[in-house]
Amino acid sequence: MNKKVVLLLISLLWITLAVGLVKSKEFLLKNGKSVLLETLPADPRDLLRGDYVILNYKINTLDLNLVRSEKSSYNPGEKVFVRLEPRGRYWGAVAVQTKQDFQKQGDPAVYIKGRVKYYSHFKENSKMTVDYGIGSYFVPEGEGKEIERNIGRTKSAVDVEVVVGDSGLAVIKDVVVNRRSIK
Amino acid sequence: MFSLIFWGFIIYLIVRSWGKPKKVYRWLQEELPRWEEKMLISREQGDTILKFYNLKRIDPAMKSDLTKTLSLIGAIFLGLGVLFLVGANWQKIPGLTKTVLLLTVTISTLYAGYLFTYIKEGYPQLGKSLFLLASLFWGATVALIGQIYHIPVSENWYIFLLWSFPILPVAIFFENLYTHLLASVLLIIWNFLYLSTNQAPNYFYPLIVFAVMLSTAKGSWPVRYINVMGLVSTSVYCPFYSYEWLALLIGAGLLVYYLRNPAERIFLYSANVALIFWTITFTTVRDVPNFLFLPVLVLLTGLSYKDNLSKNMLLCLLALVLWLNLTLHSFSKILDYKFEFSVSLIVLHSLLGIVFYIIGIMSKNRGRLFFELYKIFGYLLTFACVYLLSFPDVLKGAASLVNPLYLNGCLVLAGAIILLLFYEFRQGGFKNKLIQMELGTLLAAFAGHMLVLVNPSAVILNTLIGNTVLVIFALCNITLGVELKKTYVFNLGVAIFVLFILTRFIDVTWKLKEKSLFFIIGGILILVLGSYLEKQRRKFVERISRNE
Repeated sequence: MNKKVVLLLISLLWITLAVGLVKSKEFLLKNGKSVLLETLPADPRDLLRGDYVILNYKINTLDLNLVRSEKSSYNPGEKVFVRLEPRGRYWGAVAVQTKQDFQKQGDPAVYIKGRVKYYSHFKENSKMTVDYGIGSYFVPEGEGKEIERNIGRTKSAVDVEVVVGDSGLAVIKDVVVNRRSIK
Repeated sequence: MFSLIFWGFIIYLIVRSWGKPKKVYRWLQEELPRWEEKMLISREQGDTILKFYNLKRIDPAMKSDLTKTLSLIGAIFLGLGVLFLVGANWQKIPGLTKTVLLLTVTISTLYAGYLFTYIKEGYPQLGKSLFLLASLFWGATVALIGQIYHIPVSENWYIFLLWSFPILPVAIFFENLYTHLLASVLLIIWNFLYLSTNQAPNYFYPLIVFAVMLSTAKGSWPVRYINVMGLVSTSVYCPFYSYEWLALLIGAGLLVYYLRNPAERIFLYSANVALIFWTITFTTVRDVPNFLFLPVLVLLTGLSYKDNLSKNMLLCLLALVLWLNLTLHSFSKILDYKFEFSVSLIVLHSLLGIVFYIIGIMSKNRGRLFFELYKIFGYLLTFACVYLLSFPDVLKGAASLVNPLYLNGCLVLAGAIILLLFYEFRQGGFKNKLIQMELGTLLAAFAGHMLVLVNPSAVILNTLIGNTVLVIFALCNITLGVELKKTYVFNLGVAIFVLFILTRFIDVTWKLKEKSLFFIIGGILILVLGSYLEKQRRKFVERISRNE
């Protein structure tokens, strides 16, 4: 194959991939539904690795006695959809299932896609940890300390605004520290 | 940084306009040396022409080298200035602008690589390096997009996938070894990140390696080795996560690659290792013996014989011992017997070693391959078991556990040993003195271990038997070494004897309350015994050399 043609094709591939990735995220940010999620305090020593902050949400841990569940047990690595509904200031998990429901018009809920990390069952209690792909927030160097201090301080110090698309994919839109956006 | 940009630009302008005569005169100055070179005119005629127009003779190479160097310095200053500018204001630059900037640099570097490889002559190394640099910049672009949209660290496998795949065409179509190596390493990282994050087997990785990476590696052994190591390490990972079909796919794929390229032995060795891990995974996941492994083992052994590969044959022997253990473990579970470290387990392995040794003798007598390997493997296996059974603590701990499966296995092997010995003896297979002595040692082990098996709870008696067998091993080797004048056999006997003394010494004195006594007595013993043995060994070696 002609080398010039190869060069053009590779350049086109790289540009298409980069643009495609950006476009998909921008589309999600523009057209998805915005939800405010509550973060949980975490050990500040582990929070900041390099220049990103690890975010732990209340909806990461699901107590199957408190949310509606399609199944009685789940396997690590299994894909799940968690139904979120507004509960006061924040959105909380109300149900978990393995397939996404067709969203009815007027339904205020959103379905966020996640993957089961851990599942445990002890006596009457069943709990599982779900990862939604929104656990990291990249910050400019030096600015993570403030977020770190605030997550450790009080429960409501750091809130995260997340946009959830129709497919259940989510992306972080903003991090709010003490009701002030860090953007 | 502004001053850097400014000065870079100034230098560039100066060079471009340095001593610029009229275009036509400049053309004449540059063309004249070429006419002289082609002998269109003589040097004197050239001088006459230059004098007529009042021009100086210039050395074009020097002029253009100087131009090139200064242009390069100017370009570097300009580039550094831009970098510093961007770096200092990086955080203030919007994310999408940063992405476009980096993508532009990436594509430009790719083009530069193409330019210096295929267009400009004389810069092949630079071209290759620029292709690698472009591949690295592509990775930085993907990582930057990941950072802008906060793709989490837990999805780093996705980033590595987006990095490794698009650089494959650079590696393949531009035949760039550096990028090929980079892509191989990135794919390995992608594979392990995928396995650990998604907790699911990654069948795509071996398929990509077989279909793309190995088939395009051609003569590049670093690329082949890295990819094969990636596959083998994936198969090692499989038993921990019960990915039995992944290990089988890897083993089968490597075996097929070997069958297509018999000169590439690495494929066979790694196929063997991968299939060993497949059988471990199969047995541990299903708790049943893996009889499917037997025909595979026969095939691997057949290939070892066909291509005379002793390393692979060793792997096959190890695989056989492992398979036997896994099978007995499965049957123990099925029959609800205890599978634990017991005397019968150790004796079983000892008897297995003797069987291998006899097979070695039979192979030697019939001129078959690998007789030395069978003999050494069998001898070492039996010796290891003899050594273990000389420890009173081992005998104490293992005495109470009885597994009928192992006992029956020992009886079957004992029967097999007797039959094989009888058969080979009738064929006249034990005429060699060395073989007679070695076999005698092993038979002493056989007799001793059968006695231990009969009454495993008699710890003191069994300890005595175990240590006696160990001393017999040592003395037989020493005597044999002297008789046959073979220094390595003699040295082996001395080494076994020293091991016996040291082990028993540690056994006895370590339990003393005063630990310092252990070290003091041990130190004296080692010094005295060591110097005595070394003197004796030197005397013996000198005697042998003189006789030769």
